[in-house]
Amino acid sequence: MDFFNSGFFWFIEGILFCVVVIGVKTWAVDRSIPMPYWKWLALSAWILLFGFTVAFIGTSLGENEPTAAVKGGILFGIIVIISGAGLWRLITSGSEKSEEGIETDPEEQPL
Amino acid sequence: MKRGSRPTLKSSLFSYLPAIAVLAIAIWFGRSRSGPDLVPVLHDIFPGASRFEQSEGIYAAYSNDNALLGWAATGSGSGFGGPMVVLVGLDTTGSVVGGRVVDQRETPLFFRMVRAPSFFTENAGTHFTEINYDYSEIVGVTGATMSSEAIVSGVRDAVTSVAGPRFNVHLPQPEKPFEFGILELVILLLFVTAVATRRFRGRSADLIRWSSQVTGLIVIGFWKNSPITVAKITALMSGYFPDIRSNLALYLLIGGFLSTALIVGRSIYCTHVCPFGAIQQLINLIGGKQIKFPQWASRLMIGTRDVIVFSVIIAALAMAQPALASYEPFAALFALKGTVLQWFLLFIVMVASLFIHRPWCNYFCPVRSCDRVVKDLRKRVTDPVELQNAEFD
Repeated sequence: MDFFNSGFFWFIEGILFCVVVIGVKTWAVDRSIPMPYWKWLALSAWILLFGFTVAFIGTSLGENEPTAAVKGGILFGIIVIISGAGLWRLITSGSEKSEEGIETDPEEQPL
Repeated sequence: MKRGSRPTLKSSLFSYLPAIAVLAIAIWFGRSRSGPDLVPVLHDIFPGASRFEQSEGIYAAYSNDNALLGWAATGSGSGFGGPMVVLVGLDTTGSVVGGRVVDQRETPLFFRMVRAPSFFTENAGTHFTEINYDYSEIVGVTGATMSSEAIVSGVRDAVTSVAGPRFNVHLPQPEKPFEFGILELVILLLFVTAVATRRFRGRSADLIRWSSQVTGLIVIGFWKNSPITVAKITALMSGYFPDIRSNLALYLLIGGFLSTALIVGRSIYCTHVCPFGAIQQLINLIGGKQIKFPQWASRLMIGTRDVIVFSVIIAALAMAQPALASYEPFAALFALKGTVLQWFLLFIVMVASLFIHRPWCNYFCPVRSCDRVVKDLRKRVTDPVELQNAEFD
């Protein structure tokens, strides 16, 4: 578990950050998706949140706090996944027709 | 019943008899449970005592040489899942020797966070007229207020029952006013608004529903952590009705849920009030997808949910521990407290909400199961024939 407390861990996180940013740029250019500055800002914030979540889990495990790692990982994981889904819709909104969810009353569900 | 014959209300209700019988047996079994064994606790409080004599609910402790060491009595307060029984010991001068919680039906996770032992150690040696009854001193976590208040009420009850007969001091009982605050006001407003605007359609209906849900999410969820849980339903079913003056919100929620389902025939609690339903709907809005299961799969999952809910209620009633039935991940989300299982359940439900419409409500929620039973009964009362081909609403 010392790995999570080492500088090498943060080095890898930094590399991943760069790889993701370059990947997103290439992907957006390939698909002609407009990427104004605010989309980059939102993406950067999300990557930082993701990195923070991984770091939280890692450092908690490194400090022999598996319960904190599980609970914090789940809580921040939920936030990361949901905000990631929202960010995905936001980033891809200029490239394809947005599919709006249909709001229905639970009673109207075809159960 | 003969094929093709018209089912009557009476015959329709007969189909519920086996379930009612099982519930009744579970309640009886739970109530026949023997009370706690007080002798070890009495020895713990009066370590020098060799024998105890009970008279009118008061235990007198005697030493080896027959010297009176003090008295102890039990008192009870209204906990989350049932009465909280506390044993308190006083010496012959009226000072507190010690005390223990001897019987409780609280959610284990929350009860562990109440600093009950510190209440007794802090008041040890204090004369019974000077005990600090401030329960906020022992509340360890949001949502454990009721448990803490129950301990303090139990102590007051126990001390009062010893102080009168043994010290001839009649302690004044604190007046309990009706607690009507923002939570109660919001619950009332949400139900009234939903009923009053139930015929609205289109954007105005959506606006009202979203406003109600967000209000419920903030006030009933994140602020007060007071949604309806299976533990609360089970506690009421077991015959435990907490003091309405300090639990008005609970009665408003249960009353609103039942009355709207019975009278209006709609799950207004689920659609307008429930904070957990609201957050699933918000997440679904972010995800923007709605996977629809085939009808057979939906029926299977709903049936499984109903069986699980029924089994959990039966087990909790039979063990007389309503709080054990609480498997919902509400506390994990709203109070950041929960078991590992509840945390995992929360994760699954929150992620699934991105692409499934209210997965918890439809496939896990005990309140939805109860709602189905209430609406089923309503259908049987209003139109038993129609019910034949409408097992699933």
